[in-house]
Amino acid sequence: MNRRRFLACASCASLLQVASLAQAASGDGWQVPARIPRPDTASDEGGLWALMDREEQKLRRSPFRIQDQQLQSYLQDIACRLGGEHCPDTRVYLVHTPLFNANMAPNGMMQIWSGLMLRADNEAQLAAVLGHEIGHYVARHSVERLRDIKSRSAVGQFMVLFGLVGAVGRFATFAGSFAYSRYHERIADRIGLELMSKAGYDPAEAATVWENLLMELRAKPGGDPTKSNPLFATHPPAEERRETLMRLAETQPGGVTNEVTWQQKVAPYRREWLADEVRRGQHEESIALLTRKIMRSPQVSDYLFTRAEVYRSRAKNADFDDAIRDYQAASATGNEPSETHRGLGLIYRARKQIAEARASFERYLELAPEAPDALMIKSYVEEMKT
Amino acid sequence: MRKTWVNYRRGLGGRDEEFSFSDRARVVRWHVIRGMRIVRSCIGPALAVPMIIALISMLNVGLVQAQSKNIAFGFTNLPKGTRVVVMPTDIELFSISGGGVAEPKADWTEAAARHFKAALVKKQDSLGVQLSHLNDLDADDLSDINALHAAVARAIALHHFGTSAFNLPTKDGKLDWSMGDSVKVIKEKTGADYALFSWVRDSYASGERVASMVVLTLLGVRGMQGGSQAGYASLVDLNTGAVLWFNRILRRTGDLREEGKAAETLDTLLENFPVTK
Amino acid sequence: MKILIATVLVIILAGCASAVKVSSGENTLGDRLTVTLEGPWNQIKAPGLGPAQIWTMEGMPIDQLLIYTGLKDGEAIHATNSSSKSKTFNFRASMEPDEIVSLFEGMLTRDSSTYKLVKLEPAGFGGGKGFRFEYSLVRKIDNVKLSGVGYGAISQGELFAIVYQAPQLTFFSRHKRRIEQLAVSARIKGVSQKQGT
Repeated sequence: MNRRRFLACASCASLLQVASLAQAASGDGWQVPARIPRPDTASDEGGLWALMDREEQKLRRSPFRIQDQQLQSYLQDIACRLGGEHCPDTRVYLVHTPLFNANMAPNGMMQIWSGLMLRADNEAQLAAVLGHEIGHYVARHSVERLRDIKSRSAVGQFMVLFGLVGAVGRFATFAGSFAYSRYHERIADRIGLELMSKAGYDPAEAATVWENLLMELRAKPGGDPTKSNPLFATHPPAEERRETLMRLAETQPGGVTNEVTWQQKVAPYRREWLADEVRRGQHEESIALLTRKIMRSPQVSDYLFTRAEVYRSRAKNADFDDAIRDYQAASATGNEPSETHRGLGLIYRARKQIAEARASFERYLELAPEAPDALMIKSYVEEMKT
Repeated sequence: MRKTWVNYRRGLGGRDEEFSFSDRARVVRWHVIRGMRIVRSCIGPALAVPMIIALISMLNVGLVQAQSKNIAFGFTNLPKGTRVVVMPTDIELFSISGGGVAEPKADWTEAAARHFKAALVKKQDSLGVQLSHLNDLDADDLSDINALHAAVARAIALHHFGTSAFNLPTKDGKLDWSMGDSVKVIKEKTGADYALFSWVRDSYASGERVASMVVLTLLGVRGMQGGSQAGYASLVDLNTGAVLWFNRILRRTGDLREEGKAAETLDTLLENFPVTK
Repeated sequence: MKILIATVLVIILAGCASAVKVSSGENTLGDRLTVTLEGPWNQIKAPGLGPAQIWTMEGMPIDQLLIYTGLKDGEAIHATNSSSKSKTFNFRASMEPDEIVSLFEGMLTRDSSTYKLVKLEPAGFGGGKGFRFEYSLVRKIDNVKLSGVGYGAISQGELFAIVYQAPQLTFFSRHKRRIEQLAVSARIKGVSQKQGT
């Protein structure tokens, strides 16, 4: 840890935490800080808190909120187990946004985006990210950031800071403008790991979840993910982070991942979230993500089908061949989405393989006669008959 | 009220300052650049659009605000004693620090919402209508129509209260917007015949900010922004969905933090509110 | 659309934007497209808004009609910013209707709005073969639920299309009939009824 940053820290509260975290790494019984009382409305923290309350109100009513009681309580339980004493102050909201993110506002509002739900392989990985966010919350990093920005007279930060913390959907601008400092991120990593362990999760999954995300972002052609993805702009460098997390994890061996439960809970949403991912149009990133998922769960047809859709959409070089291979592998599982056959039909049609195209389209129409594009596909079939 | 550049001033400790033409040009340019920076950093629409509208309106300065601009074509009076439901006002107050950072002020905002409501209740008699207030729980159920109204309000602010070049020719210069049947849910829930929507964003120079403004002014630098008030209010007919009256304010005066001064803001917001008969 | 609205607003500040009337009757748009209007529309004019014409009846924050009057192979369906890192959606003359609709889907969801295709079917457009699609969109910036309808056709390697969206509540149904009428009236020069290309 950078000694100069340690000394330059404006807020004493997190100084104490840093010191105790250093102890924690050696297993000296670090305690989660006490519950945060509602601040005086006249204070800067109070102002931020009240603003977040209003954002939460909007979120509660938003069409982007996924209103699934069962899934909601499942996630709330995870957050509660992690936060311990802070459980009563934590309110979880699942948001329909196809990007990797979770965020806990200073008033206890915790957002989890569907992009993160898609990418996490198990409960422990989600817990790692939530733990990290709870870390920012208990250490009150938002308020520190506000004071820091104010004292550095950041001109032109008008509303950028607050309008976006907790605002639904403005991922890029949020993370880019209101970035926790690198110092904060390191603290949050450590607190998160500690919370994970205490809650019984395998802390080794923390390094994994960030690594997976980084691998996905690195697949984007021509980009250093730390430059293109605002989430990483102030995060510690990947290697350092992985090392730190692995080292900390070694001090707390054991713990569960709850992968089976996790897969059961997210299964009903998988197809929708995968379709969102395709819609992003970030082919290389999607392929990297899906390849990882396929390797991990080769029997799940959704991942194979989705990777095929991405290849077909990119349509470069050997992509059509790769797509056909993946569609056929999906089909072989026996529980493939009906659109698998539409995808095959469209490729065969493009390649003028009429018989195969017709057969695939007819299979699609058989499985999904009420599909939105049924009439379009029927017209393709009619064309091919002449 | 005739708006001229004299009105766009920020009194420092009560002193008035008049802008010269070159100052005006400089201030406009400063606001344009600032506006572009704001838009580029993609801040929430709740603030971005009215601020942009505010900046657009600065280009409109000097025009006499015609009475009919606020009132829908063909609409004259409200029946006396008519029931108007007041939709939860969307108000937020900020303090601008020395360096220009806007900080949300919970205590100011809470006070402002209280004062606004109190001022409205006091004004009930002079408005000649019966006001009822919608609670937050009911408001949850009406989030769709609220979102729709916000979009309509932005369209009106942009195409009716903006630069004349951007007015929609098909609207023929009239306040002619209607949400149709979709407002029936409000009527069903509240039993009112009209709904009053309002929205205010207001910022104030903090002590340190005023201090730096004084220093800079003494050094001959003018045009530093103290704070500004932007907002709109609209009256919607719950039987037809028509926006019968709309007003938007943009200025650098006004204070919602204290009850007496808040009443002034409300008066300005409700300028040209339809007379009851 | 958020980017569109934001861009328009910036341009207004610079004083370069305006709304002009498009009159009833026959209108030639671009080199090859004519439409016959029942009643006037408003066209938003400003530099840098993208390849499509932008029309509106109620104002930009409420409804938008995009009209493509002959987009060429390789061109993006939206305004491009060379410094922007975000994905571009480029038209290719070899595209099938489902691929063109995917382009629009991609463009409309760039700001994380959620999209759902309601219908895609073959339909005449411009005097020849084309397609028609319907969709619903929840706009991210302000949570408004929108309905959309589009028509398109490729002729001599160029894309001709109209895409209209407006809030599901009241506004879409208010203007839908005129959109369908506009679509039916569209004629692309050089399209023969027989060939349909």
